[in-house]
Amino acid sequence: MTANQQSNEGPTVKHRHRVEGPEKHIVVFIFSIVLTAIAFAAVAAGGINTAFTIILLLVMAVLQVFVQMGYWMHLKDKGHLMPILFMIGGFFVASTCIVMALFWVWW
Amino acid sequence: MSHAEHVNGELPHEPEKATLEGRNKVLGFWLFLGGEAVLFGTLFATFLALRGQNNEGPTAAELFSLPITAAATLILLVSSLTSVFAIQALHRHNIEKLKLWLIVTVVLGLGFLGLEIYEFYEYVVHESFNMKTSAFSSAFYTLVGFHGAHVAFGVVWISLLIAQLYRKGLTVVTAPKVYVSAMYWHFIDVVWVFIFSVVYLLGKVG
Repeated sequence: MTANQQSNEGPTVKHRHRVEGPEKHIVVFIFSIVLTAIAFAAVAAGGINTAFTIILLLVMAVLQVFVQMGYWMHLKDKGHLMPILFMIGGFFVASTCIVMALFWVWW
Repeated sequence: MSHAEHVNGELPHEPEKATLEGRNKVLGFWLFLGGEAVLFGTLFATFLALRGQNNEGPTAAELFSLPITAAATLILLVSSLTSVFAIQALHRHNIEKLKLWLIVTVVLGLGFLGLEIYEFYEYVVHESFNMKTSAFSSAFYTLVGFHGAHVAFGVVWISLLIAQLYRKGLTVVTAPKVYVSAMYWHFIDVVWVFIFSVVYLLGKVG
Protein backbone atom coordinates (compact mmCIF):
# COMPACT_ATOMS: atom_id res chain seq x y z
CA MET A 1 0.00 0.00 0.00
CA THR A 2 1.12 3.53 -0.79
CA ALA A 3 0.55 4.82 2.74
CA ASN A 4 3.24 2.36 3.86
CA GLN A 5 6.05 4.27 2.20
CA GLN A 6 4.88 7.65 3.42
CA SER A 7 5.57 7.08 7.10
CA ASN A 8 9.05 5.67 6.39
CA GLU A 9 10.30 8.85 4.83
CA GLY A 10 12.79 10.85 6.86
CA PRO A 11 11.80 13.99 8.73
CA THR A 12 13.79 16.17 6.34
CA VAL A 13 11.61 15.26 3.37
CA LYS A 14 9.09 18.03 2.97
CA HIS A 15 6.34 17.59 0.46
CA ARG A 16 3.23 19.57 -0.07
CA HIS A 17 0.07 17.57 0.30
CA ARG A 18 -2.97 18.43 -1.69
CA VAL A 19 -5.90 18.58 0.72
CA GLU A 20 -9.17 17.87 -1.02
CA GLY A 21 -11.93 20.42 -0.86
CA PRO A 22 -15.57 19.84 0.11
CA GLU A 23 -16.92 20.39 -3.44
CA LYS A 24 -17.15 16.79 -4.62
CA HIS A 25 -18.68 15.70 -1.31
CA ILE A 26 -21.39 18.35 -1.68
CA VAL A 27 -21.99 17.08 -5.23
CA VAL A 28 -22.38 13.54 -3.82
CA PHE A 29 -24.79 14.92 -1.20
CA ILE A 30 -26.93 16.69 -3.81
CA PHE A 31 -26.86 13.56 -6.00
CA SER A 32 -28.05 11.48 -3.01
CA ILE A 33 -30.83 13.99 -2.25
CA VAL A 34 -32.00 13.88 -5.87
CA LEU A 35 -32.03 10.06 -5.98
CA THR A 36 -33.91 9.98 -2.67
CA ALA A 37 -36.41 12.58 -3.91
CA ILE A 38 -37.04 10.55 -7.10
CA ALA A 39 -37.73 7.42 -5.02
CA PHE A 40 -40.09 9.25 -2.62
CA ALA A 41 -41.84 11.10 -5.44
CA ALA A 42 -42.46 7.88 -7.39
CA VAL A 43 -44.16 6.35 -4.34
CA ALA A 44 -46.01 9.50 -3.26
CA ALA A 45 -47.38 10.10 -6.76
CA GLY A 46 -48.81 6.57 -6.91
CA GLY A 47 -50.52 5.18 -9.96
CA ILE A 48 -47.22 4.07 -11.49
CA ASN A 49 -46.83 0.44 -12.46
CA THR A 50 -45.85 -1.49 -9.28
CA ALA A 51 -43.11 -3.61 -10.88
CA PHE A 52 -41.59 -0.50 -12.44
CA THR A 53 -41.67 1.35 -9.09
CA ILE A 54 -39.93 -1.54 -7.31
CA ILE A 55 -37.15 -1.62 -9.90
CA LEU A 56 -36.86 2.18 -9.76
CA LEU A 57 -36.55 2.09 -5.94
CA LEU A 58 -33.85 -0.58 -6.05
CA VAL A 59 -31.89 1.21 -8.78
CA MET A 60 -32.02 4.54 -6.87
CA ALA A 61 -30.89 2.80 -3.64
CA VAL A 62 -28.01 0.88 -5.25
CA LEU A 63 -26.79 3.99 -7.13
CA GLN A 64 -26.83 6.08 -3.97
CA VAL A 65 -25.01 3.40 -1.97
CA PHE A 66 -22.36 3.02 -4.69
CA VAL A 67 -21.64 6.75 -4.83
CA GLN A 68 -21.57 7.17 -1.04
CA MET A 69 -19.29 4.19 -0.49
CA GLY A 70 -17.01 5.33 -3.32
CA TYR A 71 -16.61 8.93 -2.27
CA TRP A 72 -17.59 9.21 1.42
CA MET A 73 -16.04 5.92 2.50
CA HIS A 74 -13.12 6.42 0.04
CA LEU A 75 -13.52 3.02 -1.63
CA LYS A 76 -12.64 4.59 -4.99
CA ASP A 77 -9.29 5.79 -3.62
CA LYS A 78 -6.00 3.94 -4.08
CA GLY A 79 -5.07 1.07 -1.76
CA HIS A 80 -8.66 -0.04 -1.10
CA LEU A 81 -8.55 -3.44 -2.82
CA MET A 82 -8.98 -5.45 0.41
CA PRO A 83 -11.84 -3.26 1.73
CA ILE A 84 -13.59 -3.61 -1.65
CA LEU A 85 -13.17 -7.40 -1.49
CA PHE A 86 -14.52 -7.45 2.09
CA MET A 87 -17.59 -5.45 1.06
CA ILE A 88 -18.17 -7.51 -2.10
CA GLY A 89 -17.93 -10.63 0.09
CA GLY A 90 -20.39 -9.16 2.60
CA PHE A 91 -22.88 -8.06 -0.05
CA PHE A 92 -22.54 -11.42 -1.84
CA VAL A 93 -23.46 -13.39 1.30
CA ALA A 94 -26.19 -10.85 2.16
CA SER A 95 -27.82 -11.08 -1.27
CA THR A 96 -27.55 -14.88 -1.20
CA CYS A 97 -29.46 -14.82 2.11
CA ILE A 98 -32.15 -12.58 0.63
CA VAL A 99 -32.61 -14.69 -2.52
CA MET A 100 -32.62 -17.87 -0.41
CA ALA A 101 -35.21 -16.53 2.05
CA LEU A 102 -37.53 -15.31 -0.73
CA PHE A 103 -37.17 -18.58 -2.61
CA TRP A 104 -37.73 -20.61 0.56
CA VAL A 105 -40.85 -18.78 1.68
CA TRP A 106 -42.54 -17.95 -1.61
CA TRP A 107 -41.89 -20.94 -3.85
CA MET B 1 9.63 10.11 21.96
CA SER B 2 6.01 9.65 22.77
CA HIS B 3 4.23 6.94 20.80
CA ALA B 4 1.57 9.52 19.97
CA GLU B 5 3.91 11.71 17.96
CA HIS B 6 5.44 11.49 14.55
CA VAL B 7 9.24 11.31 14.19
CA ASN B 8 9.62 15.02 13.61
CA GLY B 9 7.11 15.94 16.29
CA GLU B 10 4.62 17.09 13.70
CA LEU B 11 1.27 15.50 13.04
CA PRO B 12 1.61 13.80 9.62
CA HIS B 13 -0.70 14.33 6.69
CA GLU B 14 -3.54 11.80 6.97
CA PRO B 15 -2.68 10.96 10.62
CA GLU B 16 -5.14 8.05 10.57
CA LYS B 17 -2.83 6.16 8.20
CA ALA B 18 0.50 7.24 9.67
CA THR B 19 1.01 4.21 11.94
CA LEU B 20 0.74 0.50 11.23
CA GLU B 21 -1.77 0.27 14.06
CA GLY B 22 -3.90 2.98 12.47
CA ARG B 23 -3.83 1.30 9.06
CA ASN B 24 -4.65 -2.08 10.58
CA LYS B 25 -7.52 -0.51 12.49
CA VAL B 26 -9.01 0.81 9.26
CA LEU B 27 -8.48 -2.51 7.44
CA GLY B 28 -9.93 -4.51 10.36
CA PHE B 29 -12.90 -2.18 10.47
CA TRP B 30 -13.63 -2.90 6.82
CA LEU B 31 -13.70 -6.61 7.64
CA PHE B 32 -16.17 -5.80 10.42
CA LEU B 33 -18.31 -3.77 8.01
CA GLY B 34 -18.35 -6.76 5.61
CA GLY B 35 -19.70 -8.82 8.52
CA GLU B 36 -22.24 -6.09 9.31
CA ALA B 37 -23.43 -6.25 5.70
CA VAL B 38 -24.08 -9.97 6.20
CA LEU B 39 -25.90 -9.30 9.49
CA PHE B 40 -28.20 -6.72 7.94
CA GLY B 41 -28.56 -8.95 4.86
CA THR B 42 -30.08 -11.72 7.00
CA LEU B 43 -32.45 -9.24 8.66
CA PHE B 44 -33.49 -7.83 5.27
CA ALA B 45 -33.99 -11.40 4.02
CA THR B 46 -36.30 -12.17 6.96
CA PHE B 47 -38.19 -8.92 6.48
CA LEU B 48 -38.66 -9.34 2.73
CA ALA B 49 -39.86 -12.91 3.19
CA LEU B 50 -42.37 -12.03 5.92
CA ARG B 51 -43.45 -8.47 5.11
CA GLY B 52 -46.86 -9.55 3.79
CA GLN B 53 -47.76 -11.67 6.83
CA ASN B 54 -49.67 -9.05 8.85
CA ASN B 55 -51.87 -11.57 10.75
CA GLU B 56 -54.90 -9.23 10.56
CA GLY B 57 -52.82 -6.48 12.19
CA PRO B 58 -51.90 -3.23 10.42
CA THR B 59 -50.24 -3.56 7.00
CA ALA B 60 -47.20 -1.60 5.88
CA ALA B 61 -49.31 0.61 3.60
CA GLU B 62 -51.69 1.52 6.47
CA LEU B 63 -48.92 2.13 8.98
CA PHE B 64 -46.09 4.05 7.38
CA SER B 65 -46.01 7.81 6.96
CA LEU B 66 -43.88 9.20 4.15
CA PRO B 67 -43.20 12.63 5.77
CA ILE B 68 -41.66 11.05 8.90
CA THR B 69 -39.54 8.68 6.80
CA ALA B 70 -38.45 11.55 4.57
CA ALA B 71 -37.47 13.65 7.61
CA ALA B 72 -35.47 10.77 9.13
CA THR B 73 -33.76 10.18 5.78
CA LEU B 74 -32.83 13.84 5.41
CA ILE B 75 -31.44 14.00 8.97
CA LEU B 76 -29.27 10.91 8.51
CA LEU B 77 -28.06 12.00 5.06
CA VAL B 78 -27.04 15.42 6.37
CA SER B 79 -25.27 13.78 9.33
CA SER B 80 -23.30 11.63 6.89
CA LEU B 81 -22.21 14.83 5.12
CA THR B 82 -21.21 16.48 8.42
CA SER B 83 -19.03 13.49 9.27
CA VAL B 84 -17.34 13.93 5.87
CA PHE B 85 -16.64 17.53 6.91
CA ALA B 86 -15.25 16.23 10.22
CA ILE B 87 -12.76 14.01 8.39
CA GLN B 88 -11.79 16.90 6.09
CA ALA B 89 -11.11 19.01 9.19
CA LEU B 90 -9.04 16.09 10.54
CA HIS B 91 -6.95 16.08 7.36
CA ARG B 92 -6.40 19.82 7.77
CA HIS B 93 -5.39 19.20 11.42
CA ASN B 94 -8.12 21.65 12.42
CA ILE B 95 -9.20 20.11 15.73
CA GLU B 96 -11.74 22.82 16.58
CA LYS B 97 -13.67 22.28 13.35
CA LEU B 98 -13.28 18.53 13.75
CA LYS B 99 -14.92 18.63 17.18
CA LEU B 100 -17.62 21.00 15.93
CA TRP B 101 -18.61 18.75 12.99
CA LEU B 102 -18.55 15.64 15.20
CA ILE B 103 -20.87 17.40 17.67
CA VAL B 104 -23.23 18.34 14.81
CA THR B 105 -23.16 14.70 13.66
CA VAL B 106 -24.04 13.46 17.15
CA VAL B 107 -26.88 15.99 17.50
CA LEU B 108 -28.33 14.91 14.13
CA GLY B 109 -27.99 11.26 15.22
CA LEU B 110 -29.96 12.08 18.36
CA GLY B 111 -32.60 13.80 16.20
CA PHE B 112 -32.92 10.68 14.08
CA LEU B 113 -33.25 8.52 17.20
CA GLY B 114 -35.91 10.83 18.66
CA LEU B 115 -37.92 10.57 15.45
CA GLU B 116 -37.63 6.77 15.46
CA ILE B 117 -38.67 6.51 19.11
CA TYR B 118 -41.69 8.75 18.37
CA GLU B 119 -42.56 6.56 15.37
CA PHE B 120 -42.33 3.29 17.34
CA TYR B 121 -44.32 4.84 20.21
CA GLU B 122 -47.11 5.83 17.81
CA TYR B 123 -47.20 2.33 16.33
CA VAL B 124 -47.29 0.54 19.69
CA VAL B 125 -49.67 2.86 21.53
CA HIS B 126 -52.03 4.14 18.83
CA GLU B 127 -51.87 1.47 16.14
CA SER B 128 -51.59 -1.63 18.40
CA PHE B 129 -48.64 -2.68 16.30
CA ASN B 130 -46.05 -4.28 18.56
CA MET B 131 -43.36 -6.94 18.42
CA LYS B 132 -45.89 -9.78 18.81
CA THR B 133 -48.62 -8.55 16.45
CA SER B 134 -47.51 -10.42 13.33
CA ALA B 135 -44.54 -11.90 11.50
CA PHE B 136 -44.40 -8.58 9.64
CA SER B 137 -44.25 -6.59 12.90
CA SER B 138 -41.51 -8.81 14.39
CA ALA B 139 -39.42 -8.59 11.23
CA PHE B 140 -40.00 -4.82 11.02
CA TYR B 141 -39.01 -4.06 14.63
CA THR B 142 -36.00 -6.38 14.46
CA LEU B 143 -34.62 -4.85 11.26
CA VAL B 144 -35.40 -1.17 11.89
CA GLY B 145 -34.72 -1.49 15.64
CA PHE B 146 -31.34 -3.07 14.95
CA HIS B 147 -30.47 -0.15 12.72
CA GLY B 148 -31.69 2.26 15.42
CA ALA B 149 -29.50 0.46 17.97
CA HIS B 150 -26.54 0.97 15.62
CA VAL B 151 -27.32 4.69 15.48
CA ALA B 152 -27.55 4.79 19.30
CA PHE B 153 -24.21 2.99 19.59
CA GLY B 154 -22.66 5.40 17.08
CA VAL B 155 -23.95 8.41 19.05
CA VAL B 156 -22.38 7.09 22.29
CA TRP B 157 -19.15 6.10 20.54
CA ILE B 158 -18.65 9.43 18.73
CA SER B 159 -19.55 11.35 21.92
CA LEU B 160 -16.80 9.47 23.78
CA LEU B 161 -14.37 10.22 20.95
CA ILE B 162 -15.23 13.93 21.19
CA ALA B 163 -14.46 13.76 24.93
CA GLN B 164 -11.15 12.06 24.13
CA LEU B 165 -10.32 14.74 21.54
CA TYR B 166 -10.84 17.39 24.24
CA ARG B 167 -8.56 15.51 26.64
CA LYS B 168 -5.83 14.20 24.35
CA GLY B 169 -6.08 16.33 21.22
CA LEU B 170 -5.53 15.08 17.71
CA THR B 171 -2.69 12.52 17.55
CA VAL B 172 -1.80 9.48 15.45
CA VAL B 173 -3.60 7.47 18.18
CA THR B 174 -6.88 9.41 18.24
CA ALA B 175 -7.05 10.12 14.48
CA PRO B 176 -7.66 6.47 13.37
CA LYS B 177 -10.45 6.17 15.95
CA VAL B 178 -12.22 9.23 14.56
CA TYR B 179 -11.68 8.05 10.98
CA VAL B 180 -13.10 4.60 11.72
CA SER B 181 -16.13 6.06 13.54
CA ALA B 182 -16.88 8.16 10.44
CA MET B 183 -16.74 4.99 8.31
CA TYR B 184 -19.21 3.39 10.73
CA TRP B 185 -21.51 6.39 10.48
CA HIS B 186 -21.48 6.28 6.66
CA PHE B 187 -22.24 2.58 6.78
CA ILE B 188 -25.26 3.24 9.00
CA ASP B 189 -26.44 5.78 6.43
CA VAL B 190 -25.92 3.20 3.66
CA VAL B 191 -28.05 0.67 5.56
CA TRP B 192 -30.74 3.32 6.05
CA VAL B 193 -30.85 3.91 2.26
CA PHE B 194 -31.91 0.28 1.88
CA ILE B 195 -34.31 0.52 4.84
CA PHE B 196 -36.21 3.54 3.55
CA SER B 197 -36.32 2.03 0.06
CA VAL B 198 -37.15 -1.58 0.89
CA VAL B 199 -39.12 -1.24 4.13
CA TYR B 200 -40.95 2.09 3.91
CA LEU B 201 -41.29 2.96 0.23
CA LEU B 202 -41.80 -0.63 -0.90
CA GLY B 203 -44.29 -1.03 1.98
CA LYS B 204 -46.28 1.89 0.61
CA VAL B 205 -46.22 0.46 -2.93
CA GLY B 206 -47.54 -2.89 -1.73
